[in-house]
Amino acid sequence: MPRWGMVVDVKRCIACWSCAISCKEEHFLPPKVFWNRVLISERGKYPASRKVIYPVLCNHCSEASCVEACPTGATYQREDGIVLVDYDKCVGCRACLVACPYQQRTYYDQEKKDAEYFPGQGKTQFELLGEEIYPFQVGTVMKCNFCVERIDEGLEKGLAPGQDRDATPACVISCPVGARVFGDLDDPGSEVSQLIKVHSAKQLRPEFDTDPAVYYID
Amino acid sequence: MTAATHNNSSGFWRRLTRKKQLPEYEWMIKPTQQEEWIEGPGVYLWLAFFFSEIGAGIYFVSLFSNFRAGFIIGWLMTLVLGGLIHMRYLGNPGRVLRIFAKPGTSELARGMWVILIFAVLGFFQILPALFSGLPWTGFNFMYKIIMGIICLLLIMHGFATMNVVRALPSWSSTMILPLSIISGIWVGSQFVEFFMGLAGANLAVFEMWSRVFFFVYLCFFLLYIWGTYHQSDTAHFSMQELVKGDYAQLFYVGVVVIGLAVPLLLTLIMWGQTNTFLIFVRLVFVFVGDLLLRYTLMKSAYYTPLI
Repeated sequence: MPRWGMVVDVKRCIACWSCAISCKEEHFLPPKVFWNRVLISERGKYPASRKVIYPVLCNHCSEASCVEACPTGATYQREDGIVLVDYDKCVGCRACLVACPYQQRTYYDQEKKDAEYFPGQGKTQFELLGEEIYPFQVGTVMKCNFCVERIDEGLEKGLAPGQDRDATPACVISCPVGARVFGDLDDPGSEVSQLIKVHSAKQLRPEFDTDPAVYYID
Repeated sequence: MTAATHNNSSGFWRRLTRKKQLPEYEWMIKPTQQEEWIEGPGVYLWLAFFFSEIGAGIYFVSLFSNFRAGFIIGWLMTLVLGGLIHMRYLGNPGRVLRIFAKPGTSELARGMWVILIFAVLGFFQILPALFSGLPWTGFNFMYKIIMGIICLLLIMHGFATMNVVRALPSWSSTMILPLSIISGIWVGSQFVEFFMGLAGANLAVFEMWSRVFFFVYLCFFLLYIWGTYHQSDTAHFSMQELVKGDYAQLFYVGVVVIGLAVPLLLTLIMWGQTNTFLIFVRLVFVFVGDLLLRYTLMKSAYYTPLI
């Protein structure tokens, strides 16, 4: 069984936000909800300072704090490492949201459901379509799912996630500079494993002991 | 209350609890505030934890003094006030049942089971107090020990749920559980002492215990502040926000003066002689002070920046 993971080369990232936008498009996310974000900061002091750009998303941690905090088992981890939320089991206690050290979860309330991309103009065809084919439940928590639908459908078709576009997360295939690479962390020959090895890629805040599946080359 | 008075009081509260809004581009780049469990509907969780724990504190202290009214007040406060506010927070009472289905999953689920066991066992313990014909099982020693343990678990429930959040260093502090236990017992003891005073009981021994509880509460509070201040950069930032930052006003007025200084003064005034009215005044200050202590602790929790 693979363990899906991602490597982000922050030196390549140009902070264009196409990962965030393609993610919103893929999952029909309402306004102000992001499953992918781009953090922009600087390190060091002038004149030796440099700009740092970190695209962040759910880390699908092996020792996920959100899974440990969920009182109903609504947040669970698949064998391939992907952490998902079962909206039918979620009670909306937001314990997972508070527990996530990376703050990659969003509580979907009525306000978010009613929000329009063009306030006062009514929902667009795109938003209406999203409510029909990608519905969220009010009063539950949502988060990045590593585009699990693409992965599962791709595998059924015999495609390889990370190599074939149709089986790869939207944020990866939309990156114009190829800063993101997706693949099997358990396969030593996969591109992600090689990148981690060659570039000594690091996890974000490893001191939280959550063993994230997203690595950064900086 | 007139509309103008209401507006003034809510404006006063807003001033005390206001926070400089972190610009969106600094989210998780600088220490980022925990909001889910204290802002908006999160306020209900703060109140739910508080009333559950104080109710359990009243029940716990009543076990030692065999104060029947205390059993009933503690049980009702935990379940009716704490329980209903919990339901209000979750929004849909039917969904709460799902939490009971998997007690092994999390601290929150285990806490809900403790509340359920407390409700059932407590009911059978207070039943004789409601119907005079039944024997008073409150005197049963083993039953009391079991209820005492359950009360302690219940007192810790809220802070234990917060304590397991490693991402918030000010909550995962070692001192937070001892502080929560003594805070539940201290506030609970004040309720019991007041009601026993109303019933005309001799409060000399009880007052002596109150002084002990207060002293331990004060020590644990100072140890929590000091320990967390030196724990990590983010924990340090949290404590700075509390003692020097946006919540300093609320902290000094609400927690230090109302919750500690005034009760200390009243305790010194009552040294050697008890007075039910002064005990009532102290109870009000202790109650408000502890409520605000929990509020400021929940409000001043910050996440460690990611980059």
